[in-house]
Amino acid sequence: MITFQLKDIRKTFQSGDIEEEVLKGVNLSLEKGRVTALTGTSGSGKSTLLTIAACLQTPSSGRILFQGENLASLREKNLRKVRAEEFGFIFQSSHLVPFLTVEEQLEMMVEVSGKQGCKKDIDSILRRVGLSHRQNSYPSSLSGGEKQRAAIARAVIHRPAVLFADEPTASLDSKKSMEVMTLLQDMTTSLGMSTLLVTHEEEMLAFADQVVRMEDGRVTDR
Amino acid sequence: MNMALKEMKKNKTRFLIIGAVVFLISLLVFLLSGLSNGLSEDNMASIRNLPDGTFHMSEEAEGSYTQSLIEEETIQENTEDESFAFSVQMGALETGTQKHSLAFFTTTAPSHFPDVQEGHVFVDQSLKQEGVTAGEDLEHPQSGRSLVVSGFVDNERFSHAPVAFTNAEDFRTMFRMDQKQVLYTSKNVDIKGLDAFSKKEFLASIPSYQAEQMTLSMILWFLVLISGMLFAIFFYMMNVQKTGMFGILKAIGFHTRDLFIMMWTQMLMITFLSVLLSVIISQVASFLLPETMPYDLPLETTLWLAGLFFAVGFLGSTLSGLHIRQIKPLEAIQQGEG
Repeated sequence: MITFQLKDIRKTFQSGDIEEEVLKGVNLSLEKGRVTALTGTSGSGKSTLLTIAACLQTPSSGRILFQGENLASLREKNLRKVRAEEFGFIFQSSHLVPFLTVEEQLEMMVEVSGKQGCKKDIDSILRRVGLSHRQNSYPSSLSGGEKQRAAIARAVIHRPAVLFADEPTASLDSKKSMEVMTLLQDMTTSLGMSTLLVTHEEEMLAFADQVVRMEDGRVTDR
Repeated sequence: MNMALKEMKKNKTRFLIIGAVVFLISLLVFLLSGLSNGLSEDNMASIRNLPDGTFHMSEEAEGSYTQSLIEEETIQENTEDESFAFSVQMGALETGTQKHSLAFFTTTAPSHFPDVQEGHVFVDQSLKQEGVTAGEDLEHPQSGRSLVVSGFVDNERFSHAPVAFTNAEDFRTMFRMDQKQVLYTSKNVDIKGLDAFSKKEFLASIPSYQAEQMTLSMILWFLVLISGMLFAIFFYMMNVQKTGMFGILKAIGFHTRDLFIMMWTQMLMITFLSVLLSVIISQVASFLLPETMPYDLPLETTLWLAGLFFAVGFLGSTLSGLHIRQIKPLEAIQQGEG
């Protein structure tokens, strides 16, 4: 079932007199419970597309369809609400809040999303990402893999409809990368999320249900 | 969950340092204010004790009470109700071995000053500590006039000296002065040949008082300004360091308002604890400091200054935090991954 769609997304950046079109009419659909991997060479526009899909920047034209609404036409106030309640984010660096314990990172996300009912799931999510024994640890005492697993737990604790993951394994070794990807795939299926993953690592594509290749701002293969 | 408190708990040292600096500055402000107030009391308590009214001095005196002389006729015409005229002269009284520097007051009506019989004197209670007792004979060395101490009055000081209230006849004998210097009227009236001053203006016209208070006020306001800047700099540094984190928090759905609340909570906590400690110490100081030290810190002044610190802290932290509004989540993410 398609839950999220990008229609004819274009993005142009102005640099002095020069206009550069980095996205040239991209169409993309995300399905519930499936991981869609977006891959391509550096500068192909994959990260720009992910940030536009995640409503972190606006497209020059095109539509972002989600739950019957075109998110591209919403104001920042409403987009913030959508991001808090319906989206989950995993970044290349874990970007955990340095003064919160692992458990508190999840509590914070529950509060931000306003889905207080999800608080009861904190223990089970931490168990699933293998961080039960680290729930009272601060990010500074976690390993790279643990930080990324904590970031995944934080991203899914409020049961978002769409999960955006931008190069989540870029700073990890191959063993930990596999662990993280397995976890991501497992969470996507079990929580019924639509996951959009940006990666340049070919080995990670094996974890995706759909692979979309981009080149020079266009989708070249899916 | 209160993220502001969690951050303070995790980064205790950082917040303790800023708290300690705010505490020291606010304590200095409170102590200086106590000293400033104490000196003001020591200098002009007898004038400050009078109710608000108008002080008149002769035009030729050009605002200097020492040069002012008011005709008896003018006083007679204008001393109704609560109004009265008075004179002040600096001098001394001697016991056998001791000499006591005093500010001598005399008045036409004892409505706000004690009623003193000829040959008697009321003196400020601080003279008790110098060994003066009620009923004791004190002599004015220049005139040879002998005065019996009828009693003591509380907190009556002028020009950093204890006040002695004398009868008009004794005053005339001691200082060879028939006329009064200042006419006080409870109402604001214009009197021909006299300049009118409010109490505040009258106090400001006394050179020693003005110079003393201006210097202390300047130091005090500078300290308040410094504490405001300190808050601004501290929170600016903190916010700059946290730009990336704020961007991420915005990306995942935090409202800018929540980030400001977090900053204000920290500012309030630091200010509250630091100022509370300063208030306690500065109030305890009034009991511990020697009585000879002019120190007076009324609760109203303390509360006013504490309020000022909160306002300055709020302003400083808010100004420094304005850039939080400009933080773009995307930039923060890209910086973090650069």
